Amino acid sequence: MALNPWLAIIIWAVLIVLLTGPLLTLPMFWSRRKPDPFRDMPFESGQVPQGEARTRLVMQYYPYLLMFVVFDVVGMFLFAWGISYRTIPLNASFLVLLFLFLLAAPLGYALHLALHRENW
Amino acid sequence: MDLGIPPDVPFIILATVTVVAAIMALQAKELIYGAISLAISFIGVAGFFVFLDAPYLAMLQIAVYVGAVVVLILFTIMLVRREVVGEIAEREEGGEGSMGLWIAGLLAVSIAGVAALAGSNLPETAPPANLPVSELGPVLAISYPVPLVILALLLSAALLGALVLAKLEREQ
Amino acid sequence: MRSIWRFTGRIGSLVNLPATPADLIPFIIAVITSHTFITIVFFPGFIHLMLVVMFLTWYERKVLARIQLRIGPLYAGGPGGILQPIADGVKLIFKEVMIPYKANKPLFIWMPLAMVFSAAVPFAVIPFGQHWVIANLDVGLVFVFAMTSLFPSMILIFAWASNSKYPFLGGLRSLFQQVAYEIPMWISALSVVMLAGSLSLVDIVNAQQKIWFIVPAFLSFVVFFIAVMAELERLPFDLPEAEPELVAGWYTESSGAIFMVLFLALYMKLYLMSSLITVLFLGGWYGPAFLPQPVWFIMKTLLVATFIIIPRGVYPRIRVDMLIRIGWTRLLIIAIANVFLTVLMLNSGILSTWGL
Repeated sequence: MALNPWLAIIIWAVLIVLLTGPLLTLPMFWSRRKPDPFRDMPFESGQVPQGEARTRLVMQYYPYLLMFVVFDVVGMFLFAWGISYRTIPLNASFLVLLFLFLLAAPLGYALHLALHRENW
Repeated sequence: MDLGIPPDVPFIILATVTVVAAIMALQAKELIYGAISLAISFIGVAGFFVFLDAPYLAMLQIAVYVGAVVVLILFTIMLVRREVVGEIAEREEGGEGSMGLWIAGLLAVSIAGVAALAGSNLPETAPPANLPVSELGPVLAISYPVPLVILALLLSAALLGALVLAKLEREQ
Repeated sequence: MRSIWRFTGRIGSLVNLPATPADLIPFIIAVITSHTFITIVFFPGFIHLMLVVMFLTWYERKVLARIQLRIGPLYAGGPGGILQPIADGVKLIFKEVMIPYKANKPLFIWMPLAMVFSAAVPFAVIPFGQHWVIANLDVGLVFVFAMTSLFPSMILIFAWASNSKYPFLGGLRSLFQQVAYEIPMWISALSVVMLAGSLSLVDIVNAQQKIWFIVPAFLSFVVFFIAVMAELERLPFDLPEAEPELVAGWYTESSGAIFMVLFLALYMKLYLMSSLITVLFLGGWYGPAFLPQPVWFIMKTLLVATFIIIPRGVYPRIRVDMLIRIGWTRLLIIAIANVFLTVLMLNSGILSTWGL
């Protein structure tokens, strides 16, 4: 007998968390715990750490994140189309290919910006 | 969705987790905890989509929201400097939290009251449309071609706009 | 007063709670005796997963050692040091967990668990045999991709939580690298979905009865393989953990049990991606019938894992900004062109020669 797949996933997820959680927390009880200010300092290859650790983010690759958000959505829509590619008539598929073409302009602009190194 | 047990208990757990996570996302003092609670509430919403027989939408929700939008939110949080966070945390609570709680409580009691008074005469809601995943593609491409093209234009405009803004800011 | 009890009673009647815990017992018995429970606990479930992940850590060290003309773990008992992962595990359990100065303690401790969660849950949909799958979802492939897209945000949170510059910079680089190679991975898997006509992984394997998808969709295989190697942060895409540059990247500050759970998550991801490649391109469990189906699956997965491990000992490293640029410019264009190519191929009827 097979269970509802989602129920199986829930049971599997709960099992994973229940069995890996103690793996993470129990060793904290039987391992040595002596917080030592010199040993717990962030590791900087031996020198004294200077400046705040959470430094100003280098926002060099930020446009890539924007592209990722858009292409994430595009990818999920394309999966919905890809399943039924063989069963729908060809002009409907052309519509989705048009969808891809319309995104070619900003993609081209983004890649143009990416390939000219002084931009980022 | 046929789970084998009455769906009320999983639903109550899911609803509690989602609502509590959403409240914590608003109220957390430490912004990163707020972002993580927001991610948990997004996963809760995806669970609701699964309950409503829309698994593809649930996966789209997780992949787009928790995968991409939460990353952007985290970036925004990490860009904000520590002094500004201190200012926000130090501002006096104007009593908005308790007022929100009162309003929510009043709403809950009134809805519960109506449900209790109606008893078993509650109107039937339409059952969720049972659209298998293989039907999503035809519906999208054949029945809704215009929204698809509009969506493409909207995404292109958003992407171009964001890139141009990032470039302009770089040039300043 | 009595009306209040009637009020809550009327609400309570709207909710179907199991009246007593004894009502749950038939349900629990039904769950435990179902085939699904065996798959969850034994194969391909928890025990199998843990054993194979431990085996993979040993296997990687042996393979790399042979490439580098040395022997690898040898003394940990059994032939060829096969109990080495157990020795590593015991050592890591008893090590002290050092929490860096002013680090965010709850996040630092619990993020590795979230990573194991995100790496292990997709195993529920991967079929190891015709009936050896925990949950045969209709949206299986997208489920795997949604779960693996949780990784970049978790890496960022973990890197931020260890209050230290090396992990933070390494976490940022790792985030951008993984984000850059997700989209080519999805779009190259789209060609397989178009060939198979379904997102369910069992259906995708069943569609490969006549011919494995690596033959018609070879370009997709290449793109997917490269994207997977970048997702797993394996050389030559290793900069987030490059030793001369960033010590150990985003997990520099983890030690002891935290590192062990993190390590577990990374190798689970390796096994997950290798089995995904097997399902999508190498025909899953199909093979001559003298060996049972799961054995063929595991053999093919180990072959793929070997090919993912070998470049680590062979190739030099690629600089991270070149890497991210290659992901977005070259690989994405190839993946999108591959979609058009697949459309052409499906329409021209070449596939009938292969029986699809």
